[in-house]
Amino acid sequence: MIFTVLFAIYFLSVAFQLELSLSHFKSRAGFGLSHLFLIDYTSNDSRWVAYYAGVINTIRVCLVAILLTTVLGTVMGVARLSKNFLTSRIAWAYVEVLRNTPLLIQIIFWQIVFLQLPHISEAITFGNTSAISNRGISLPGVSDNGSAQMWFIFLGIMAAGSLFLSYFLNKREDKSGEYLSIAGYKLSGNIVGIIFFALIAVVTYFAFGKPVSLDIPSISQNTKGTWMQSGGFELSPEFAAILFALVIYTGTFITEIVRGSIQSLSKGQTEAAQAIGLSRYQSMTLVVLPQALRSIIPPLTNQFLNLTKNSSLAVVIAYPDLFMVSRTIMNNSGHALPVFFLILFTYLFLSLCISLVMNLINRRVTRIGT
Amino acid sequence: MMTMPKININEIKNWTINNFFGSKLNLLLTIFSTLFIVYIISSFISFLSSAEWEVVALNKRLLLLGRLPAEDTWRAWPILWLFSSILCSSIGAWGNPKKSELLFILLAFLMPAAIFFSMSYIVHISITIIIGVGSYFSSRIIKKISAIKVVMYLDTLKKILISLWILLIPLVFIVLLIGGGPKPNLWGGFLLNILLASVAVVAGFPLGILMAIGRSTKLPVIKTACTLYIETIRGAPLVAWLLLAWFVLPKFLPNFYGLSEISVVIRAMIVLSFFASAYIAEVIRGGLQSIPKGQLEAADALNLSYFNKMRIIILPQAIKVVIPAIVSTFIGIFKDTSLVFILALTDLLQVGRIIPEQDPKFFGKQIEALLVVASLFWIVSVALSNLSSKIEKNLGIGTR
Repeated sequence: MIFTVLFAIYFLSVAFQLELSLSHFKSRAGFGLSHLFLIDYTSNDSRWVAYYAGVINTIRVCLVAILLTTVLGTVMGVARLSKNFLTSRIAWAYVEVLRNTPLLIQIIFWQIVFLQLPHISEAITFGNTSAISNRGISLPGVSDNGSAQMWFIFLGIMAAGSLFLSYFLNKREDKSGEYLSIAGYKLSGNIVGIIFFALIAVVTYFAFGKPVSLDIPSISQNTKGTWMQSGGFELSPEFAAILFALVIYTGTFITEIVRGSIQSLSKGQTEAAQAIGLSRYQSMTLVVLPQALRSIIPPLTNQFLNLTKNSSLAVVIAYPDLFMVSRTIMNNSGHALPVFFLILFTYLFLSLCISLVMNLINRRVTRIGT
Repeated sequence: MMTMPKININEIKNWTINNFFGSKLNLLLTIFSTLFIVYIISSFISFLSSAEWEVVALNKRLLLLGRLPAEDTWRAWPILWLFSSILCSSIGAWGNPKKSELLFILLAFLMPAAIFFSMSYIVHISITIIIGVGSYFSSRIIKKISAIKVVMYLDTLKKILISLWILLIPLVFIVLLIGGGPKPNLWGGFLLNILLASVAVVAGFPLGILMAIGRSTKLPVIKTACTLYIETIRGAPLVAWLLLAWFVLPKFLPNFYGLSEISVVIRAMIVLSFFASAYIAEVIRGGLQSIPKGQLEAADALNLSYFNKMRIIILPQAIKVVIPAIVSTFIGIFKDTSLVFILALTDLLQVGRIIPEQDPKFFGKQIEALLVVASLFWIVSVALSNLSSKIEKNLGIGTR
């Protein structure tokens, strides 16, 4: 106890000799970033802007990776328990091989793979809709025609409206058994909501004067013979490498979580589902997975947190995420400790956000049927 | 004459139908899986047929030992012999391996041996094999003798082995440093990875126990402090903590005996130990929570002091339960040691990244080097995770 107090006093006394304020963040950053998303940044902006660009890059890669890895993990977890011998072996091999190699190796591996793709003059194209070359993967995207922002806000409001509509219809059906029917077909609340939303979306799309349009990537050669790539949604090799590695590596852990949770359900559940005549697909999606979800979500949250922290390894392939930007600032400014605390608190904040969302989902999942 | 095992044609037929062609979905899955497997295997074969392993063959020593000077290479051999003798006699003493498992262990040893085989070290390699096989069979014999006669040879052997495992890391340090050995900065390669991970887990273990106990006490100050410690360390990625070791740690170390100019390897060890301790604390806390309340009450009834209660009753049970989880933590830390690239240390992965760049003729051979690096990490991790599930079965966790 005394030792701890003495240690803390020593620690604090040294810490206060160092520069602890973040005032140097207001000065000019002086370095460029290769990936920018949703934010305009040049090397003349302040370090805060560079830091925000880094945070946005981290959030971008984490969000996409979390969505994809959940899908991959669930599919593989179900495949692991498949009756089909080959399918379950594939899932088994996937887990055993990729879970036991360091993530860093996988990141570097994917970077090498993406950089060994053909040169842009021989890019792989799929009927001119997308292009794969060593400059990255270009997919068809959407482009803003000026009024997209208004349209999206309007759509957001309408989405809330249609959710409320289907909630209301479902509630009424639960209570009194009444439901809408058109020409003798029963329409459940969910379907009414979706149709309503789709109708509104299509009508307003024309009403707003076609706010978004399809943007197809194109490859061309300018007069000096340089290959140019423009348009579309572009996935750079670095982003693709870190995304692939994170998704595939975290997917192995989620596979095991899903498998364990499904196996921990009593066998009676599957048998009961088959006894009332559900197909294997139906019994999986309607009976088994919803119940397994209860024991899946807490460890899943853990994996999402790990994924967020692991995204800092993007530094090895120079994807300018939060960690890499902060490290550059640390090197440039020489004030290591305050920047380190900034990194620490940013990751803590991101973790807290994920935990919060996952706890909300968890509460909703555990409430069903109790 | 050997009797053929009975093969029931019907059974095979049923199995095939059930597994491959039961329904439409099943058939679809079979087709897709076959295509996928064929694709993977064919691309792997086409890679192997065009692969050139010269880049690995020329850099064996770099991969295993990093920048360790050539005149100090001999230090690696005693470490390997020590390790293989302790490991093999432990397998003999505790394990009851089946033939298939022995084969797996042998393969796990042979694979790196085949990659790094060289004629100039044939004597050293054969000594390693003799030591390994010899210590395995000697501990088997001791086990058999103590099973026949009522002598406690086996218990003594186990005690010696446990103390040897604990002494292994200091012994390795002694071997590496004795007689004016190379500076720690020059340690590298696979040796560094193993050393970092072992030191981190062994040094983090006592601190982890303290933190776990602290977090599960009712004293609010200690509880908050321990929770804060654990959650802060778990909140930030390891690379950030290693960066701290690079920039900030030297400023905080007191400036006597040149402690503030300590080697980067040692700094990495310090940070990794603290990092591991937070994760181990969480694991042990889980073990503490799994102890039935009756145990605590029984200890109280015996009028044991808090210290004795923990030492004699609670901790032995809690730690026993979480041994598999601690092995998993070790695997995680071991994989994470590849992150020391941020401290400019030449660990296995870093060597694997650098060596294709040393000669233009190796250009484009990164995958070969990377594959060897990955397979080394993979072998150790798989062996350990098998060990962990084995221990789990032996302890009977989950079957209570």
